Amino acid sequence: MKITKEIIERIEGEAALEVEWEDEKIAFAKLKFFNYRGIEEILRKRPLYDALAFTPRVCGICSHSHALACVRAIESCFEHAQETITLNKKARDIREIALNAEKIHNHIKWYFFSVLPELEKIDNPSYRGDAFKKPRWFLAQNAVTETLKMGAIFSGQWPHGSFVAPGGVTCDPVSLDVLNARGILEKVIAFCEETLLGFSLEEFTGFDSAVQVMASPSALSWGIDTMIRHAFDRLGRSHDRFLALGDSFLYEGALKSAKTTVLPADIKYVSESLAHTFFEDPTQGYTYSKTATYKKSFFEVGPLARMMVAKEGLIRDFHRRFKDAALTRVMARVVECAHLLVQTKRLLENLDIREASLIPPKRNVHELSAEGIGVVEAPRGSLIHAISVNHGVIERYDIITPTVWNLGNGERDNLSVVQKALVGLDSLTKADFIVKSFDVCSVCTTQ
Amino acid sequence: MKANTKSTVIWIQGITCNGNSHSFLNYSNMALFAASFEMLYHPLLFTAHTLESLLDKPEAFDFLIVEGAFTKEARYLQRFGRSFPEILEPLANKARFIVCVGSCASFGGMFRLRDPRRISGALFNAKEKGGYWDEKSNVVNIPGCPAHPRWIAETMMALRERKTVLLDEFLRPKEIFAYLAHHGCLRNEYFEWKVDCKQLGEKEGCMFYEHGCLGPNTHANCNKILWNDISSKTRAGSPCLGCTEFDFPRRALYETHKNMSLPQTPYGIGKRAYYTLAGVAKSFKIERLEKKLIDEDH
Ligand code: SF4
Ligand code: SF4
Repeated sequence: MKITKEIIERIEGEAALEVEWEDEKIAFAKLKFFNYRGIEEILRKRPLYDALAFTPRVCGICSHSHALACVRAIESCFEHAQETITLNKKARDIREIALNAEKIHNHIKWYFFSVLPELEKIDNPSYRGDAFKKPRWFLAQNAVTETLKMGAIFSGQWPHGSFVAPGGVTCDPVSLDVLNARGILEKVIAFCEETLLGFSLEEFTGFDSAVQVMASPSALSWGIDTMIRHAFDRLGRSHDRFLALGDSFLYEGALKSAKTTVLPADIKYVSESLAHTFFEDPTQGYTYSKTATYKKSFFEVGPLARMMVAKEGLIRDFHRRFKDAALTRVMARVVECAHLLVQTKRLLENLDIREASLIPPKRNVHELSAEGIGVVEAPRGSLIHAISVNHGVIERYDIITPTVWNLGNGERDNLSVVQKALVGLDSLTKADFIVKSFDVCSVCTTQ
Repeated sequence: MKANTKSTVIWIQGITCNGNSHSFLNYSNMALFAASFEMLYHPLLFTAHTLESLLDKPEAFDFLIVEGAFTKEARYLQRFGRSFPEILEPLANKARFIVCVGSCASFGGMFRLRDPRRISGALFNAKEKGGYWDEKSNVVNIPGCPAHPRWIAETMMALRERKTVLLDEFLRPKEIFAYLAHHGCLRNEYFEWKVDCKQLGEKEGCMFYEHGCLGPNTHANCNKILWNDISSKTRAGSPCLGCTEFDFPRRALYETHKNMSLPQTPYGIGKRAYYTLAGVAKSFKIERLEKKLIDEDH
């Protein structure tokens, strides 16, 4: 049996892919992450609220998601210590706007800075990239910048803004700030309509057939076309099981789905394992990425999971045609981006700034001893922070990131999500793209 | 470096969250930057070269950008099967300028806390001189967690055009870091009259007294140039965390550290001067500053 090793580059951080070949096909694969930074350890014995400043720094591309998961975990500690936390609608909406800005920016960045150039290279191996060169790259970079500027009106800055505190948000915008945010969001919407989608948001979010998307030339239809030419409409299929533990405007509660059947999910069935990690065995281990399972099974998280549990029409049609192939996965990010733009616009138009931004907990944090869990649907999927606090000091901080769900390693008889998607492929070029179709963040994986 | 040829840039990473890369990608005049610089390699982006090809045959280039903390320990950091020194050294020897972006590359930052003896900045380990290197004459530090995109891009443009920028004792460009984060904060009047913000989430009041704001002790022009060209921590109602300083992150960031119930004095202002003035200011009750900024009754 032949074994090859390849570095996966141009992702958030880097990963190594070790592949076992049989009859020119991938029989088994291990995805390895090396650069562990020890944030959970650094947080131990520090004052609880320091986590609000530390955890955004787990990941440069999803810092708001971590801030939110952290504040929710802290609020859950208060709740478990018999103190009710009230969040005004204003605070909830502002949290969502800031989180949406992070997701929208992530999806635009990923599609234009990663998916498109990777596809160009698959098309033409001598392709040398477009960063800092092609007009379209600058347009996308500008859209990303504007998206985050819109969010920063509420979060102060991106990345690493600290805009949340137990009981709400710290910003207190005036109505003209909100109008400014709406104006900036319109620019992002214009970019997405003209360059990414080739349709107005209204048209696009009403689609329920893959054929409709192809009717207009756009960055998206080019991508779909190219993926189909390289068989990514059939490759990269995984377990077809999805999980979305955090809330969203597109569905209610925590949900899972097996193929198209959607059922309630409960975080109590989540377990984390150190199998194959250097933590468990410094010599036999081969990665720093933990694995997460739901009732011992691997589930895919992320935009595709969210669209599947939300029964989103267009993604359901892609899924009907192509199952959970790489094409459907990529498509789900773009479709989610469109819905997020519509939802964020709606939130801004209806934001009632007269309420208090924050209702602080009455109990002094130094008297807080409890455990708490915070869940957020981050750009790449369900993100979980779990805290145990004693008199305001952190005893234990545990983070399960989305990439751990999708890109951890399973066993030969129980393949993880990415492993299942890789088995059977006949080339490393394809494997590289399939891994990237999950929007890899090795930084988060190995906090 | 002739004005009409582009300056070449290689961007590498130590122990990092990628936050400086993402911050840099928010630069709003990117076309201007791209007209003067050629990014030979950036780990997140599709650039013309691979790191391995650059390492195999290192040639002279202009800017080595390092993001993330430095370490010689292979078990803390390896990329492409190489330890950090194996990546850093060949490139550092060929670079005209080495620009450390972010507090991790400058001082060690948050990730230094894991093992302060083995994880540091390029030339500093927190406050102490001597980080990864003891000395190196072509290093500029641009701390911040993350560094502001304008700090990165404009320092590089200034170095390209003028070949030198004025640096402070921590090798930070003075035109950026001579300012304090406090300068330009919308809460300055509350600071002057010692009006505390009673709780977070309001436009009124200063966060220096109870909520740990380090604005008066932190070198950075955040409230002058603003983040994402529009806001800042204090404008969004959150205390400055002191992220550009060598001791970032301090303990208990959301609390004001007091000595005999007095907060520390602002940077460079003596105790006697500060506490005298503060005492006088506090003895007056300024009615306007006790009220909401926007009084809905009028
Ligand atoms: S909130 Fe901080 S930066 Fe603003 S005036 Fe007060 S001390 Fe200065
Ligand atoms: S306000 Fe303070 S913590 Fe925030 S970015 Fe500026 S220096 Fe860093």
